[in-house]
Amino acid sequence: MKDDYLWDKTGQPDPEIQKLEEILGSLRYQPKPLELPLELPVSRRRNYLPLLAIAASLLLALVAGGIWLRARTQRAPQLHEAQYVVPPSPIEARKPEPITPKPVAPREEIVVNHKPRHRSVAPVLSKREHEEAVAAKEQLMMALRLTTEKLSLVHRKTQNPTPANQIKNQHRVG
Amino acid sequence: MVLSLLVILPFVVHAQDPRLQLSSLDHLAGKANQTVDVNVDERLMKMAAKLFNEKDADERQVKKLVEGLKGIYVKSFEFDSAGQFTTADLETIRTQLRGPGWTRLVNVMSKKEGNLEVYLLFNGEQVGGLAVLHSDEKELTVVNIVGPVDLDKLAELEGQFGVPELGIEKTKKN
Repeated sequence: MKDDYLWDKTGQPDPEIQKLEEILGSLRYQPKPLELPLELPVSRRRNYLPLLAIAASLLLALVAGGIWLRARTQRAPQLHEAQYVVPPSPIEARKPEPITPKPVAPREEIVVNHKPRHRSVAPVLSKREHEEAVAAKEQLMMALRLTTEKLSLVHRKTQNPTPANQIKNQHRVG
Repeated sequence: MVLSLLVILPFVVHAQDPRLQLSSLDHLAGKANQTVDVNVDERLMKMAAKLFNEKDADERQVKKLVEGLKGIYVKSFEFDSAGQFTTADLETIRTQLRGPGWTRLVNVMSKKEGNLEVYLLFNGEQVGGLAVLHSDEKELTVVNIVGPVDLDKLAELEGQFGVPELGIEKTKKN
């Protein structure tokens, strides 16, 4: 068969086909090793894994810190109030006010309405210092009372002078 | 003469000091049936100030008044009978008040109320101290406030904590 040559190169070849084979033979596949160019631009893929790990660690630390702070501040107010309570002064004692018990809010509400408190600026006094301060305050009030009492007397005398009184105002000495 | 000079000399040395030396009156405590002795220095003043309740308007006023003061000293003696103290006792105080800087604002002499003197110590135009000297037959009182006394604030105390109404007019501020 004339056509067998086209399929498996058996039989009598057709001269035209042979001619075409010669012409196209130069384009035939010729196996040879892969040659890579020397200056091939290399695009390095950045490895974000360590950065992601660090970010995740930081995030975890922040979350843990936040939870810890929240748990701490929930317990702190009770201690805080107990620490900074100042006993009523003698002046306050003179004006007693009825003590009305504060309604205790449910635990859930405390958590929900909790606002971070600023620490009181009043420094904590030791018991001895406190006693000393109370005594000083009493002395101070007594001194002010006596001073204003005397000044009141002066004022009364200068505003309503009797003929028997001898009053000298704005007299500079020294 | 020399002896009296030696007695007066220490007080002359302290003449410019806003704090008066009142220890010369201590011997009167044994004769008096009632003695008031107030010694509140700057440290005690600051401690006492911590006890003033900022929420209470009255106490806030007192706190404002005592802020900046260096001390309040009072000696007051009440006697059962007349003639328990002498002019020399008064002179130990007056000698100091004749020193430079001290100005006698008021001197009231009354047969009924005795002798009342009010002094201010001026450091330039600023008040650096106040002294009140009250003496009658059966009473001797010396009040010494060290520091910038604000008479306006003192006037604001009228009618509070048993402080009598003084009728002090507030000075107009520019």
